[in-house]
Amino acid sequence: MGDYKFAKDKLAEALSGLTDYEVFAPAAVGDVLRFKVVEDPASVSLDYDNTTVPPKELMFPQTETLFKYRLGQTDIEPTVPDASAKRAVVGIRPCDALAYTIVDNLYGWDFPDPYYQQRREATTLVGLACSDPCANCFCPSVGGAPASEKGLDALIFDLGDAYYVKTLTDKGEEFAKAAGLEAAGDAEAKAAAKQGEEALGKVQRSIDTAGIPEHLPELYDDKFWEQFSDRCLSCGICTFLCPTCHCFDIQDESEGFDSRRARMWDTCMFAEYTRHTSGHNPRPTRKERTRNRISHKYSYFPEKFDVIACVGCGRCINNCPVNIDIVDILEKSKQAGAKEAKTA
Amino acid sequence: MSEEFEPNIVAFLCNWCSYAGADLAGTSRTHYLPNVKIIRVMCSGRVNPLFLVNALQQGADGVLISGCHPGDCHYLEGNFFARRRFMLMRKLLEHVGVDPARVNMSWVSASEGAKFKDVVDEVVTKVKEVGPMDQFRRRQINW
Amino acid sequence: MVDEKKLQDKARETLSRDDVRRLIGWKRSTYGYEAAPAVLTDASEADQLIFDPTCVQNPASFISLEEKKPVPRGQEPDTRKIAVMVKGCDSRAIVQQLVEKAYNRDDVVVLGIPCIGVIDRRKAEKLFGETGKQVKAKVDKEKVAVDIGGDVKTVDRKDILMDKCLRCRYPNPLVSDFLLGDEVEKWADDDFADVDEFEKMTPEEKWKHWDEQLSKCIRCYSCKSVCPMCYCVECVVTQQKPQWTRRSTDISENAAYHLQRAWHLAGRCIECMECQRVCPVDIPIMELNRKMTREVKEMFDYEPGVDAEAEPLLASYNPQDPEDYIM
Repeated sequence: MGDYKFAKDKLAEALSGLTDYEVFAPAAVGDVLRFKVVEDPASVSLDYDNTTVPPKELMFPQTETLFKYRLGQTDIEPTVPDASAKRAVVGIRPCDALAYTIVDNLYGWDFPDPYYQQRREATTLVGLACSDPCANCFCPSVGGAPASEKGLDALIFDLGDAYYVKTLTDKGEEFAKAAGLEAAGDAEAKAAAKQGEEALGKVQRSIDTAGIPEHLPELYDDKFWEQFSDRCLSCGICTFLCPTCHCFDIQDESEGFDSRRARMWDTCMFAEYTRHTSGHNPRPTRKERTRNRISHKYSYFPEKFDVIACVGCGRCINNCPVNIDIVDILEKSKQAGAKEAKTA
Repeated sequence: MSEEFEPNIVAFLCNWCSYAGADLAGTSRTHYLPNVKIIRVMCSGRVNPLFLVNALQQGADGVLISGCHPGDCHYLEGNFFARRRFMLMRKLLEHVGVDPARVNMSWVSASEGAKFKDVVDEVVTKVKEVGPMDQFRRRQINW
Repeated sequence: MVDEKKLQDKARETLSRDDVRRLIGWKRSTYGYEAAPAVLTDASEADQLIFDPTCVQNPASFISLEEKKPVPRGQEPDTRKIAVMVKGCDSRAIVQQLVEKAYNRDDVVVLGIPCIGVIDRRKAEKLFGETGKQVKAKVDKEKVAVDIGGDVKTVDRKDILMDKCLRCRYPNPLVSDFLLGDEVEKWADDDFADVDEFEKMTPEEKWKHWDEQLSKCIRCYSCKSVCPMCYCVECVVTQQKPQWTRRSTDISENAAYHLQRAWHLAGRCIECMECQRVCPVDIPIMELNRKMTREVKEMFDYEPGVDAEAEPLLASYNPQDPEDYIM
């Protein structure tokens, strides 16, 4: 589609032009970045590695009201978001945009989830290509790239003195018009392509995923998992900060007679996640839970939807307090199992 | 709002002394401020500081915990444990910016109906001064 | 510093004992400024073990993290001991767990390591940037030498060590069966200057601070999961019936969670700072715990995790306890 550009100091101006949109961009509290609604365009900066909390929360908020009701009354008031209320997410990294295309599979599968889908439809994703990938990124190994266009409506490149914007869809084109961006020439497009190539070469970690989806189920009962799960804390960092993790819990809450049914992020790393009412827990220890997290991403999900549910953003590696490193696990998994299978 | 702020006070009274004290205040036809909502517990030592946080979440503007005088506990030492707990909880709430006037504790025996009235009046006046508790009140359901 | 060879030999010897089922220590992580906790079951794995200033985790946390499956009929439960390597600060967790009778002294073998400081990942990242390389480090009385994949950088130790180390009063383990390395001299003290500084704020400023900080919380519960003192089988905040804290994330429930946690750690927190270290959204959780520690010390003259014979603070009382605000 189109090629646009804007000077670095014109970012606030471009954002102010987006009056039709609810604009989201990363905002910092201390060192922690998270996508927030832009209130003051001048405060937005596109100079960051990636947000701590992934932008999945923009489509799938951590806590989301499904409907409201009053105790003792039979009518409910659904709170489905409005698909016509336009939203723009500015500065999303390509890995996080790729994550949406993966999660789309699930939320449009047996039951089209209106909450997620309406938000997706209303949102224009304006990506920000990585020129300097983080230490634990491995997106090229799982179908992404530092300048991947998958799932995006437009992609911004930081060319040092200016931003080059490549629009990829009609939504992106509409965004560029609304922001009042000026047209760019061939030179910028070439520089951007070159930057993308270079960034690809800077990615430090990688994993060859060939054969992993088929191999992991063979390790189901293997002791292999214990070397990692023995130090797992059973906390929710890896899953809550994962852009593709999508599990939720549904709870009713009331204040007096006013009530709501809400869903909130849940994680398979908590023991409560699978605990039955009887007290029985099919995943009683951290071994089963660690196995489930890895296998779900690299085996069960690909089996169902033919795509690995990991985008290589590195958040689970960066934030794990006990160094449970998904690349390391997958690498070691390749060697595991063979020995035991013979002796068993 | 032109109406004067009327605080909600949740009072946890021990069955053996303070609740009987409140009862005495009632049967003696002593008038105490109606802002206080009484919850009877078996002992002040049964009051988990978590009740206090929860009360503040659910709309209480202040909390009163009342038990037997030290040494008079029906269970011998329950109020001593309670005393330690609420000393600490009060400091903790103060540390996050909750006015300590919202956390009150008193010793009221079964024969101190008049003291109960004084305590309630004082607590209500204090909480009225600091105003409504809105720092971490639950507001998830916006009808 | 302890000699790594000696440490591995001792670990090998301990793991070879018939009455020890696992050993918890540290090993080199796959990347970055923090070592990884190592949970070993076999003596042959002992050569993975290390100890240097990247060994920040508290191994005492992992004693209670082990989940036990029901023992099949006709089999005996595994009652062998757990061996655990501890620094001075970590050893206080063991002492406090013993105070609370979480287990018996005979159930653990404690390998103590005198320590003069561990690295704060956040400070290191500010100084040297994030790294995907493996990091080793050395510390002496003045400096910390950080070896980032062969690139050695030296920095003043007060610029890179954890805050807890800068006010460390117990560099030597308070409980240990075997001491690895020589005892070190105490080099810092704690004057609660950070709490004093915090308390200069007005109540409005305090709440503004906490409102901002606690609103960030994503309730991953890493703080309670990693805490060596949070070993309840079922935590009151995740309990469903009665549900004291709702699962929804907003300032009300987040504040309730953190207040409950701080309160449950009053007179128990041994200040290993693990909660603050693991927090993915950088909530200064220790600011709550530090306040409690100071109040406990001032009001009740009590210090947790120092004396294994002490009574737990809130399961005991003194008739002369302060009661200045009680009507």
